[in-house]
Amino acid sequence: MVIDLIVIFCLAVGLIFFAGGTLGLLRFPDFYSRLHPAGKLDTMGSFLILLGSAIHQLFPLTLSTVLSGLKLMLIVVFVFLASPTATHAIVDAGFRAGLEPWKKGDPRR
Amino acid sequence: MKTLGLIIVGLVGAVLVSATVNFPPFGDPESPASLHVSPRYLEKTLEETAVPNAVTSVLADYRGFDTMFETTVIFCAGVACFLLLRVPRRRLPRPRQYRHRLTGLTFRIKEGGEVFLPLREFEPVDSIWTPHDFIIEKVCRYLIPFIQLFGLYVIAHGHHSPGGGFQGGVILGASIILLSVSHSLRTALKRMGEKISALFSPVGVFIFAGTGVLCLGLGYRFLDYQALATLLPVGPIMARSYGILLVEVGVGMAVMGTMVWIFKNLASRGRYDEGL
Repeated sequence: MVIDLIVIFCLAVGLIFFAGGTLGLLRFPDFYSRLHPAGKLDTMGSFLILLGSAIHQLFPLTLSTVLSGLKLMLIVVFVFLASPTATHAIVDAGFRAGLEPWKKGDPRR
Repeated sequence: MKTLGLIIVGLVGAVLVSATVNFPPFGDPESPASLHVSPRYLEKTLEETAVPNAVTSVLADYRGFDTMFETTVIFCAGVACFLLLRVPRRRLPRPRQYRHRLTGLTFRIKEGGEVFLPLREFEPVDSIWTPHDFIIEKVCRYLIPFIQLFGLYVIAHGHHSPGGGFQGGVILGASIILLSVSHSLRTALKRMGEKISALFSPVGVFIFAGTGVLCLGLGYRFLDYQALATLLPVGPIMARSYGILLVEVGVGMAVMGTMVWIFKNLASRGRYDEGL
């Protein structure tokens, strides 16, 4: 019962993060600020959702459920490594190509 | 000419669209394919080949010919790219740059010039300045072994889960391409040179076709993996499972080698010196 509540909490908060990330991707004014939610919120959202699924399938506690929980956490590790790096690479490429960051008062791009 | 092409394209498109009307509806249980062929494979796969994943057994065993020539097509694509793009090595070396590691001084050597530099102190650099980002290089450096391990897992685990030779080979090839994108083409060439990547694709096709010929030589039909039971200490059903694994390894090698081969040809414009 308590486990279910924790799982529901994790999934709900993860979905809120994903919704915020999508909203930011659609609504922010330029390239750099749009990559900000794509890099941060999606990572956090996938972390929470995978954590929720890991806790959900952990009971009854046996070796195989623990192992699959560990595999889900391994996905989290790789997402945490790869997603910010990819965002960093894209921002870097944009900056090197000479794209000016958006300032207050400029039109949306 | 343009209008003629447009008319032809429109006509062919109309024929194709009219042909789709005659197809059985999507997921129709009464269509010929679902009546005879699919249930036969789905029901008999496990008892005949000991492979739980019906997709793998259909691809590599029941329709092995199809997959063998798919692999051959991939090999042909690699050869075609090689023949189109590869520039033969010129007698005079191209102009090139070296950087002194300690001082950062860069030397440019003119076309045809020959200089003997102690390579421990000098490193070759690209003619166009390319960024080297510390974060990207380090993260890719630590991720690539895990990607390759996952690729091997996908190849070996195609019997039980989604995957197989094509998918695993693509993952393995992509790991080498990631190395080339994140570091430089020269680093990737050090890890997997032109000859190795060009050798991998025919060797993969050879393993596939060689398995078939081996079955032929043992007195069975081409690609009938039951023949392997005479070589391995297993029954004919498990022999089919092992035969599928052997063939998947060949497919994986061919796909990996061809992907890396085509990428190197495209990225360096066929010169294999620098690029990206």
